[in-house]
Amino acid sequence: MEKSRGALILAALDRQAQEHGLHIAMPLADARARVPELIIFDHDGDADTQLLEKLAEACERYTPMVALHLPQSLVLDISGCVHLFGNEQILVQDVEDRFDGAGLSVQWALAGTVDAALALARFGLKEGAQAQLPVAALDMNERTHKALERAGLYHIGDLADRPRAPLAARFGAELVLKLERLLGQEDRPVNPKRKSSAIITERRFAEPMGHIDSALLCLHELFIEAAHILEERKQGARKIRMQLFRCDGHVANLAIETGAPTRDDKLFRRLLNERIDTLNDPLDPGFGYDLVRLSIAAAESLNAVQTDINGERDAASDEAALLSQLSIRLGRQDVQRFEPANSYIPEHGLHTRAALDYKKPFVWDRPESGAPPARPLFLFDPPQHIEVMAEVPDGPPRRFKWKRVTHDVTHAEGPERIASTWWRRRQGHLPGNAGLTRDYYRVEDSEGRRYWLFRYGLYGTEKAQPDWFIHGSFA
Amino acid sequence: MNISDSLHPISLNGAAALSLSSASCLSENIKKEDNILLGAERFDHALRQGLPRTALHEVQAALKTDMPCASAFSLLLAERCRLSGQMANSPILWIDEKQSQRCKTSLYPPGLVALGIDPNQIIHAKAANIITALKTAADAVRSHAVAAVILALSGKNPRGLDLTATRRLSLFARESGVTVFLLRDTLSSLSTAAYSRWQISSAPSRPLEANAPGHPVFDVKLLRHRRGIEGLSSRLEWNCDSRIFEEQAPDISAVPAVSVFGTDYQEQRRRA
Repeated sequence: MEKSRGALILAALDRQAQEHGLHIAMPLADARARVPELIIFDHDGDADTQLLEKLAEACERYTPMVALHLPQSLVLDISGCVHLFGNEQILVQDVEDRFDGAGLSVQWALAGTVDAALALARFGLKEGAQAQLPVAALDMNERTHKALERAGLYHIGDLADRPRAPLAARFGAELVLKLERLLGQEDRPVNPKRKSSAIITERRFAEPMGHIDSALLCLHELFIEAAHILEERKQGARKIRMQLFRCDGHVANLAIETGAPTRDDKLFRRLLNERIDTLNDPLDPGFGYDLVRLSIAAAESLNAVQTDINGERDAASDEAALLSQLSIRLGRQDVQRFEPANSYIPEHGLHTRAALDYKKPFVWDRPESGAPPARPLFLFDPPQHIEVMAEVPDGPPRRFKWKRVTHDVTHAEGPERIASTWWRRRQGHLPGNAGLTRDYYRVEDSEGRRYWLFRYGLYGTEKAQPDWFIHGSFA
Repeated sequence: MNISDSLHPISLNGAAALSLSSASCLSENIKKEDNILLGAERFDHALRQGLPRTALHEVQAALKTDMPCASAFSLLLAERCRLSGQMANSPILWIDEKQSQRCKTSLYPPGLVALGIDPNQIIHAKAANIITALKTAADAVRSHAVAAVILALSGKNPRGLDLTATRRLSLFARESGVTVFLLRDTLSSLSTAAYSRWQISSAPSRPLEANAPGHPVFDVKLLRHRRGIEGLSSRLEWNCDSRIFEEQAPDISAVPAVSVFGTDYQEQRRRA
């Protein structure tokens, strides 16, 4: 049941309810009048989508090209995959069996194009029966369907032979496009849930495998297989995706990203163990895995290198291995390197990027020699508010209070005036709209600690009583 | 194989001959390379040619507010360690605990540049808790991939930090040659396997013209040393251009005089 235009209507029905003559989009009051003992639940569209996504993952055992077609369809592009199962009938039978096992019923159809298959499945017809489809299969709006029927065109077959131009003139070009797609005269590409990878290796088991260790061993072997293919292509893996298909339809997804292209199976094993150790919910083999698949999702060129004759360690590959390991353990975004910012606003200098994305060293602006550091070692994000006493309102601070501690300023340098980015603001060029200017001071307190303070707003012109903030601390 | 077999002994002999001919000079060089020199001569001498590279060193901030200073000190030591050794191209790994999103204090790359540290050579790892941080540090030290590891931990007695954990770190450091700095934000007498333990606090700088704050100055105090050096303390100023520590002439009125060479004297007395 769901709410639509203020009325409660039925959104989905089980088989029993259908037998009682109820149908989708029927108002709840009418349905209750017909079947007083009706049990109703709130419609949960998100849960439906999640279930569909899970099913899509499970269907990746048939083909890598699985697309979601909301709200309730899956599109499987099985071209080139049928021979793995024998023929289409066996494949479809397998799909039906598995869905049956999961307690779901499935309506399916095979067709040359996505739209034709979807329409056939929706109206419970089989391949080649497009002509018998009602015009509603075109999936236009209600008025168009009515208008077609009024013109005596009840089936797709009636439309198929007609010249397209009058149809387009009367009902719009969209109808013609949809009609041609239905008839298989024009195709729309499948938009798969995942991009398919270049290299896929997999193992199918007659008997499901109940142990994690053997599954990991199997993944290791699969990686060695994939590494051979990579070696022929002079490539190394950057992203490795692994799927463990459980026989009850659940799929465990694992992914590994490496800091540098690799074909090293020892490294892979180490990273895989790290991945398993840091999983939030540990792998549960349940009744066992019956298909294990490893795919190389991203690869980069990697030439064979000869190891040093002395067995010397290669620092660069050590570093890449360490970064991959840490990125898996701590999370990709939590192992990072600094990136210079193309901006003079101080807090923009905090930019970082994941260490795995780091390609080549950046160029940093060197300060003039002989001067003490003009920027603090630590920056507070966001700046913290402080109370300041100054001799003159637009002069350097004399004393400030931060975290309930009073600091007496003995040395101060400034102001270093940093204007706001007025060109990014609406009407920023007009006076009063430019945003507040900051006056930065480098100060040292009586105990020798050095801080970076700023006054937010120019005294008198921009603000009557500017606030003070502490933005960082020097060494 | 044959070629390499025949070549190897010759090159070995060559090296042996070289080392024999200038044994004294080389041994001194090697010794210097194995140590981190701070740059201040009297100080390095008192430490018997600096700090050993293959060890764990503990740096403690005297007060929480001295943390920027203590961090800078360990970063600068790590940078000196990186520059002086064979691992000049290896980065420094900075490990700390993840902070709350609301109020963060983070390393600021322009500030690193200003101190003479190349931000390209710093990898920042944020661990969810102390155990993960220690594990991360252990793996990094073992890996030969970094020049130095700085492990910044907060709190007086962090859970998981104990003699065993630090002992493990220092053993790995001895094997791989990666220097480990354990950075603490409070003074703590928790027993660790550190080779040396330092107390760092910030000190007033020498003001420049127009009363501007000067170069970073550290009050450095050696709390513990494996080789029994005691009572070493000094005021060091970092020179951002030549990238060395320079000892400031102690201001007698402000600082109680502690002899830098007190340790030698004590040792002589012990021997006698």
